Amino acid sequence: MSEYESIKALHDSLPPFRPLISVALLPYLALILLASTFALAFYSSILPKTTIPGKEIPLAVTASILGGFGVVALFCTVGVYV
Amino acid sequence: MLRLWSAISCLLLASAAASASSQSFENSAIVRTIDLGGSLVHVTTTFAVKALKEAAGVYTITLPEDEIFNTSWLEVKVKGKQQPLTVTYSGAPAGSKSHNLDVSLEKPLEAGATINLVLETVQTHTTRPWPQQAAQDEDQSLKYETSLFVLSPYNTSVQRTKLKSSSPRIIFYTEPENVQAFTLENPVTKSGSTVTYGPYSNVPPSANQAFLDKYQQRVVLHYSYDYPVLEVLKLRRAAEISHWGANLNIQDDIVLHNAGPRLNGHFSRLQHQTQSFYGRGAPHVLPLFTVQLPPGIRNTYYLDQIGNVSTSHLRVAPSVSRGLKNTQNSVLELKPRYPIMGGWNYTYTLGWDAPLGDSGSYDPNTGKYIVSIPVMTEIPGAVVNDAEISIILPEGATDVDYVAPFPALSNEISTHVTYLDTIGRPMVIFKYKNLTNKHAKPIYVSYRVPISAHLRKPMAVATVLLVLFTFAMVARRVDLTIYKTPTKKM
Repeated sequence: MSEYESIKALHDSLPPFRPLISVALLPYLALILLASTFALAFYSSILPKTTIPGKEIPLAVTASILGGFGVVALFCTVGVYV
Repeated sequence: MLRLWSAISCLLLASAAASASSQSFENSAIVRTIDLGGSLVHVTTTFAVKALKEAAGVYTITLPEDEIFNTSWLEVKVKGKQQPLTVTYSGAPAGSKSHNLDVSLEKPLEAGATINLVLETVQTHTTRPWPQQAAQDEDQSLKYETSLFVLSPYNTSVQRTKLKSSSPRIIFYTEPENVQAFTLENPVTKSGSTVTYGPYSNVPPSANQAFLDKYQQRVVLHYSYDYPVLEVLKLRRAAEISHWGANLNIQDDIVLHNAGPRLNGHFSRLQHQTQSFYGRGAPHVLPLFTVQLPPGIRNTYYLDQIGNVSTSHLRVAPSVSRGLKNTQNSVLELKPRYPIMGGWNYTYTLGWDAPLGDSGSYDPNTGKYIVSIPVMTEIPGAVVNDAEISIILPEGATDVDYVAPFPALSNEISTHVTYLDTIGRPMVIFKYKNLTNKHAKPIYVSYRVPISAHLRKPMAVATVLLVLFTFAMVARRVDLTIYKTPTKKM
């Protein structure tokens, strides 16, 4: 039982869990990130068609990363806490 | 210290060692109080012990075999103190169907010193409805059986057993025979709702077959019980931890059973409405019950197979920061879709979200997260026959370690896959049997999540989006026209 008591005491004395990004910010973050993903994707779709997609690739990578975080923030906003 | 006797029962098959009880103690008085409930029976036995020898440090308690098999929770304390004492199983005396438990006292007693030990146990599945069937408006009576004498390997100066029921309507109690050696007055008395067997004086050491054959007898109490007898046949609790949403979701899938007398005849809704209108509900019918949920919960859902059950009322208590003592719980009044008659079952799902900061903590020295998950939410007066608690940790959690308040029947760690998962989440599963209200304690799980595991989810979604973008880039450059109309110069 002392192991249980000791972890109970440890748990009570530690600071509470705090997420990397505050939960109250997540809805706004979701909106901003998904809007910028959409904007970048739209811009990359109207670029001229060159043989080597010189400007499209960095745009696609940025848009994917922003979209990735945006989708996770969106899931948390609607209540599916992933 | 706290044990499930199904774990002990495998020891019982192996060891039948006779424990030599050297007479180092003597009981000045033993008082056993049995609080009769529906499916749970609380037995409190107080031993007033006097040490006869020097350095007497281990006191032996003997329990009959059927009592041990029905006991779900056991604790021995010194009267007036909070800290429980260490209890170890020490074998069965040869021949007698009883088992010895050794209680280690904090300090060995000197000769002549006295101490009061309190043994508290909770027994499950020991009462049965009698008669076994009842119509919708009839009363409910239960039968409880126990043994007359409290066993002890030491001499006892005086002992008594008190059976307390919640209502004074006691239908029958056994009159013990062959107890002239211990008492010259009435061996059993009833006053109000308490039936007292005793006091019996000068009982010799009773943990041997000779005493059991000569004097031990069964005592049956048949009493009226005014509340529904509830059993939870199955409890499946899933606790999901999310670090991105800082959320702990707890979901209980419960099969509730009314273990009272089976309904005789058909269920008349009209009669039920009449009874509840005049406030004369039958004691074995369960129309609604109340559970206490943690404070600060949100998004509570109460469903069954048909869908959402709207007949419930929730009052949420404000969230309590983890260091402070919790004074107020959220109260949820649950009204099942139909009143649960004797023998009927009701299956439902109850779940809620709670902020992870209320039950989770972070240790910056070791980099470990510790989270406390309660084993069950108490349904008043109910025993949980079969419980399985799964704790689902965030994806990529490593160094998973857990401490349970009492040992589980089985533990396993497996993988659970849910939304936006790539490698799956570690899931720790605890299986229990016969849980009572004394078992509603938290399990502590500690784990580590590196930052790379935190980023796994956004990267997984980013990868999917990148594949879409790549496909779009390639598709833009593919020419799908079938026939080029030649441009004519006019």
